[in-house]
Amino acid sequence: MKDLLTKIINQATEKFAAQYAEVRAQNLSKTMFTMKEGRVEAAKQGIENGAALRVLVNGAWGFASVGSLDQKVLTEAILDACAMAKAASTRLKNPIKLAAAKPVEDHVVIKPKKNPAEISVEDKIKTASDITQVAMKWDKRIKSCTVDYLDLAGTSYFATNEGAYIEQDKLYVWSKATASALQNGVYTFSREEIGSTVGYELFDTETPQAIGERLAKRAVIQLGAKAPKGGKFPVVLGPNVVGVFVHEAFGHLAEADLALAGGVLADNMNKKIASELVTFYDDGTIEGAFGSFKYDDEGTPAQKTLLIKDGVVAGLMHNRETAQKFDAQPTGNARAEDFHVEPIIRMCNTYMAPRNHTFEELFEGVKEGYFFKSFRGGQANLDGTFQVGIQEAYEIVNGELGEPIRDASISGNTLETLLKVDAVGKDFELDSGRCGKGQTAFIGDGGPHIRVSEVTVGGSA
Amino acid sequence: MAALNKQTMLALAENAVKVALHKGAAEAEAFAYDGKATNVGIERGQIMKTARILDRGIGIRVQVNKAIGFAYTNIVDNPTTVEDAIVKALAAARASKPDKDWKGLPEKKTYAPAPEGTFDDKILALHAEDLVNLSTRMLDAATEADKRAFPIEGGAGAGYGSNAVANSNAVSVFEAGTMVECSLAALAREGNKVTPVCFEFAAERTLNVDPERVGKEATRLALSSLKTKSVETKNYKLLFTQFALQELLYYTLINAVKADSVERNQSPFKEKLNTKVGSDAITIIDDGLLPGGLRTGIFDGEGVPHQKTPVIEKGVLKNFLYDNYTAKKQGRESTGNASRAGYLSTPSIETTNFHILPGTKSADQMLSEVDDGLMVSYLQGAHSSNPVSGEFSVVATPAWRIRNGKIENATRGVMLAGNIFELLKNVSLVGSNERKMGQLVAPWLIVENVRVIGK
Repeated sequence: MKDLLTKIINQATEKFAAQYAEVRAQNLSKTMFTMKEGRVEAAKQGIENGAALRVLVNGAWGFASVGSLDQKVLTEAILDACAMAKAASTRLKNPIKLAAAKPVEDHVVIKPKKNPAEISVEDKIKTASDITQVAMKWDKRIKSCTVDYLDLAGTSYFATNEGAYIEQDKLYVWSKATASALQNGVYTFSREEIGSTVGYELFDTETPQAIGERLAKRAVIQLGAKAPKGGKFPVVLGPNVVGVFVHEAFGHLAEADLALAGGVLADNMNKKIASELVTFYDDGTIEGAFGSFKYDDEGTPAQKTLLIKDGVVAGLMHNRETAQKFDAQPTGNARAEDFHVEPIIRMCNTYMAPRNHTFEELFEGVKEGYFFKSFRGGQANLDGTFQVGIQEAYEIVNGELGEPIRDASISGNTLETLLKVDAVGKDFELDSGRCGKGQTAFIGDGGPHIRVSEVTVGGSA
Repeated sequence: MAALNKQTMLALAENAVKVALHKGAAEAEAFAYDGKATNVGIERGQIMKTARILDRGIGIRVQVNKAIGFAYTNIVDNPTTVEDAIVKALAAARASKPDKDWKGLPEKKTYAPAPEGTFDDKILALHAEDLVNLSTRMLDAATEADKRAFPIEGGAGAGYGSNAVANSNAVSVFEAGTMVECSLAALAREGNKVTPVCFEFAAERTLNVDPERVGKEATRLALSSLKTKSVETKNYKLLFTQFALQELLYYTLINAVKADSVERNQSPFKEKLNTKVGSDAITIIDDGLLPGGLRTGIFDGEGVPHQKTPVIEKGVLKNFLYDNYTAKKQGRESTGNASRAGYLSTPSIETTNFHILPGTKSADQMLSEVDDGLMVSYLQGAHSSNPVSGEFSVVATPAWRIRNGKIENATRGVMLAGNIFELLKNVSLVGSNERKMGQLVAPWLIVENVRVIGK
């Protein structure tokens, strides 16, 4: 493979004097299905192979993707990418440059204890079916249960004109389960998502029993829940909500491409923007976590990047292009979903570091507020406005956990909210999820329980 | 790689069906896709990148003993890999339990004449240079007006895609279509103040986009978001533009009219057919044949003819949307709403063009109807709505304050909370200014009495 990729790259440097050229060839195989109330619509298996070719000509990017590893097709594609880059470069005022990188040669082999490729489709269906059974039998008010399953295995072959050559295995096992419950015209909805880069042994720790129970309990609890009041309240956030807050509200602003695009963080480097209790990391090296890998799709090793230290902005997540602009080092965050798309800056596992409060201490002194335990979706804007939808929440009344509430969301300005973090727990949890930024990335996010003195709660009561 | 022609695509699909039957499938269906997309990308105010993505593949669905299996591959020039995929699909079916509700693949039907305006040779002929030119016109229009506005990202793209569907009931159909789009996201800065991202785009099936309009509008919106004031928490009259409607309806109303959601108790519309679910002003047709529609085509992802399905007529719920499986299970006919996300997906129910029929009031007349309210364009968090109950709690970034029929200033961080199904009943006025946006074709709507959480 190395010889083939080198030949292709040489076309770009010889015929178009490309400053940079890379080829990322991949073969990928997937098994996936959706189960609804125990019925599998269709178990799906697929094979794809192809290559992504990226070149820098006259300071502009050219990218081509083809579903083939044939030398003639790849040659045609890389020359096409060069010609297009040249066309785009005609209006360029600030040509793109890349931060220097030490070319790596490596071969990364994943050896799962339970390789999903060696587990039969029947067994995978059985796992989903067990989740469904547990959830549906939990309570007769549970009316529907959907389980999505995906495993993805493959190998990436990455080569650049700078001499990098990395062969790297990919392995993901993922599942999402949702349930709905109905009583007296009240509909509730609950979801759980798990993922791993280790192997099918994921289901040994996240057992179907545990997933099904959590799912069903939450849907049922909400049946008796009331609508929250709208307005500003002190809140306690669970690790699951803290994780999505760190990811959505802060993490995207700390992606250097978005910071450059006018996001609020660009002008705040090394400034204190958050309470001194706030320390955030992005870490692609946590073994087995859903957002972990050895090398990103520019060949940069994954690393642990400090984003905020004790309230002060300490760093951003970079690819080689933004690292050059900020005079920083690439951080191993250039990721591409597959060969159909180009690498862009994505998070790995993003989390808040724990401190020293117990769970109970967080509730002390909260007269009227909410405990937001589990999220359903979140989104942020470059101006720092965030929204996180909540699927499981409770009132806090005089420092005690009160009644459940449903379908709330929280919102605010990220920087203002970070200053209002007034207590951080000592526990820690990392969840698996997927992030969309034009393409999907598998990520992890988490943190401890925390208390925020004030956020806006969107409620209809 | 040149595009595959009609004969090649049909032969690919028909042959896969033949092989699958030969290898033991009781029924078989093949969906072949071939596409090419060329894009020019703007980042931080300048054209920085180009991309060409070629993608083709085939997905094969088989039935064995009433159990379904599916497999796909993107290596279609090699009969062995397609055959391997067929073997995998059969294995997947054999690993699955029989489905007593499976009543067979779609039968052969007659198709309506090809809808107009879904294919344009001029789009096929666009080169990277032409898209660079289109993007430049858009950027120039965006930046010449005001230095406070800054285009952050966007670009122009041209796409071609063709599908062929064949099955063991002698269905064998082919269609090719084109699309062109340009888009720009902009924000404005003044001192320390940064506006939210404001976005405008144009997407058409024929080469008929106005890049200058897109550029000007994106920056105009950003500039108009600079001056903000807070609003009081109370119920307001809201004017929703298409951006907000698309976000809000997709996760709630559209989910509620899918027949499988209804059947699975995931829709509040269960047992509500022929009852009033919205205001008299609301009429919605799912129209897969709409001339020039972004989701228009002759047939759906299972080769079933597209049609016009009345969903809501003057507020009364008339029909749900079906794919072949859900329809046959209930002894009905598919409404042609089986959708595929390319060759690697099995069909699922999706709207085609979800058309909210326009009223008679122009944009200006709509504005003049609002004495004290907000205009809502962009929402944050609509995807976190409760898809079953329709309850939403979202942020409007930004919304504009309307007083006495005039837009006064922007607001920041305002939240809206409520229930989409209540909202439908409170639609008081429908505009005449419809536009296409993804699967939605709609005008502006005025909705009374929506809870707004301000400062």
